[in-house]
Amino acid sequence: MDIPIIVLENVTKVYHQGKIDVTAIDGFSVTVNKGDFTALCGPSGSGKTTILNIIGALDVPTAGRVTLEGNDLAALSRTALSSMRRDRIGFVFQAYNLIPVLTAYENAEFVLALQGKPEKERRARVMEMLQEVGLEGLENRRPEELSGGQQQRVAIARAMVTQPAVILADEPTANLDSATAAALLTIMEHLNTVHGITFLFSTHDQRVMDRARRIITLRDGKLAGDERKG
Amino acid sequence: MKIIPIALRNISRKRVRSAITIGSMAFAGFIMLFFAALGQGMLYTMEQNAVGVYLGDIQIHAPGYRSDPDLYTRVPDPAALVDKLEKAGFHAAPRLYGFGLAAASGNSSGIWMRGVDLIREPKVTLLDRQVMEGAWLSADKPKEVVIGKKLAYTLGVKPGGEIVVVSQAADGAMANDIYHVRGILKSVGDAVDQGGFLMVDAEFRRLMGVAEGTHEIAVARVDKDRILAEAADTVASLAPGMEVKTWRDLQPVLAKMIDVMDISLLFMLFIAYSAVGMVILNATLMNVFERIREFGVMKAIGVTPPQVFSLIMAEAVLEAVIANVLALGAGIPVVRYFEVHGIDLSNFSSGASLAGLALDPVWYCKLNTKALTMPVWFMFAVVLAAVIYPAMKAALLKPLDAMHHQ
Repeated sequence: MDIPIIVLENVTKVYHQGKIDVTAIDGFSVTVNKGDFTALCGPSGSGKTTILNIIGALDVPTAGRVTLEGNDLAALSRTALSSMRRDRIGFVFQAYNLIPVLTAYENAEFVLALQGKPEKERRARVMEMLQEVGLEGLENRRPEELSGGQQQRVAIARAMVTQPAVILADEPTANLDSATAAALLTIMEHLNTVHGITFLFSTHDQRVMDRARRIITLRDGKLAGDERKG
Repeated sequence: MKIIPIALRNISRKRVRSAITIGSMAFAGFIMLFFAALGQGMLYTMEQNAVGVYLGDIQIHAPGYRSDPDLYTRVPDPAALVDKLEKAGFHAAPRLYGFGLAAASGNSSGIWMRGVDLIREPKVTLLDRQVMEGAWLSADKPKEVVIGKKLAYTLGVKPGGEIVVVSQAADGAMANDIYHVRGILKSVGDAVDQGGFLMVDAEFRRLMGVAEGTHEIAVARVDKDRILAEAADTVASLAPGMEVKTWRDLQPVLAKMIDVMDISLLFMLFIAYSAVGMVILNATLMNVFERIREFGVMKAIGVTPPQVFSLIMAEAVLEAVIANVLALGAGIPVVRYFEVHGIDLSNFSSGASLAGLALDPVWYCKLNTKALTMPVWFMFAVVLAAVIYPAMKAALLKPLDAMHHQ
């Protein structure tokens, strides 16, 4: 049985650039179910990142309704949204966006520490997650001492370690070579399968689309296609 | 969130900038520590000149003596009162005063004779240590006196010189005798400098025919931390009917001056640290602007605005802690040196006085709690004030805008 985890209803986002209004998302509606491994596709400027930002409570829609696990994001306070991002959403950014002064271990541990989890639990979960993403032995390296692929794995570990409801990944393979991208996708698939975590990633990378089990296509901010595989 | 370890790493991340910021703060701290210690030293010296050398903490007089210093207006039974005061935690020294005329080497001058209790006076004041030439009074040599610096100049005498004194004794008869200069005081105050003629109390009584009573009892607190006003109340209760005044009552101009200087020290600290505050504000703003993306990411993954605010504040406070350690580490030895050696300004301000009391031309530092803590607290206060704006700015960033910041 499908359990809806993300529901977007008639979402519109208009950016005001000087006197010009630019419609990034135009009446977009979609439902993402628990455990989905979904790619959000479309050409540059089609609104993929905007959709992820709105779902991730980093941006607010101009119109429409967004619910995450049944919570209407528009009804939540700034603090509640911070808590939502911390506890229920994992972010993986195109530019990795690790905290430069922290080691791989500390970056992965960071959100757990924000949640106030005990040291022992944090350690166990972080080490397990770093092992799962293949970063054993690199725990004490800082981002500048890691390759792009390794940094992205740390970012995935950081996103995964809190066992969020959904992981939002914005072009996670865009800066990676083919082999690294493939390895990363394997990790994400594995985590999706084993832990049942919902993945929603924006991409225009065909390799990612090939591995996704559902492809939502955007064009000019509108839903242009919604294909489920298998 | 592990704010302190992250803050420490952020400080070490931009080493040159952090070093410049911390260095500026430490330098200001060092200067302020020295300045505060010098200021405290000046205040201490002024107070010591007033209290330690001359006045004592508290004085007891018979009613009316201060407005009309008459030879006959005396505190009765001083020995009993001194005994009670000593039992109540005070040092006390009775003093006798009289006026006369002194002549030597064809010169003459009015003098202010003072009969000194050689055992008790050194417990109350440091007058015995103010001898510039010769030696202090001796009970064995009652005909030898110690005189003020300007009086010695006026009379043209040096230690060993002879002075003829003429006055009117208590019985109305002429009091006159010949004395030899045993010592000359350095500058301690206008009155003593110009007319001070100090002699052993027994000799004063003999010369002036004063058998009983005393004109003044100078009192000093054994415990200097004891509150002056409360001590004065205790003294007053032990000397009923007598006039009891603190040194602040006796020298209100000087007391006010010391208070004003104390406050002006705060202003100086504020002005100097304001400049440092601008450096810190600038450095922190640059730091925040450079890390806007990072703050955006942190907020995106769940760091709350108060946590961002706390992180930036923690960085500034840690810098201030390091700066204070450096400032104290460098400043305390320097201040300690100048506590002993002083800065000799006698070429510029020799003979200066304030409210009738000589200002010591050698400026010494005084490292008391106030001198030590005031610059430290000021630095923390200024740092926190300077960092509030950039910290608020970072805390209120919208995560998405921040992550897109170029």
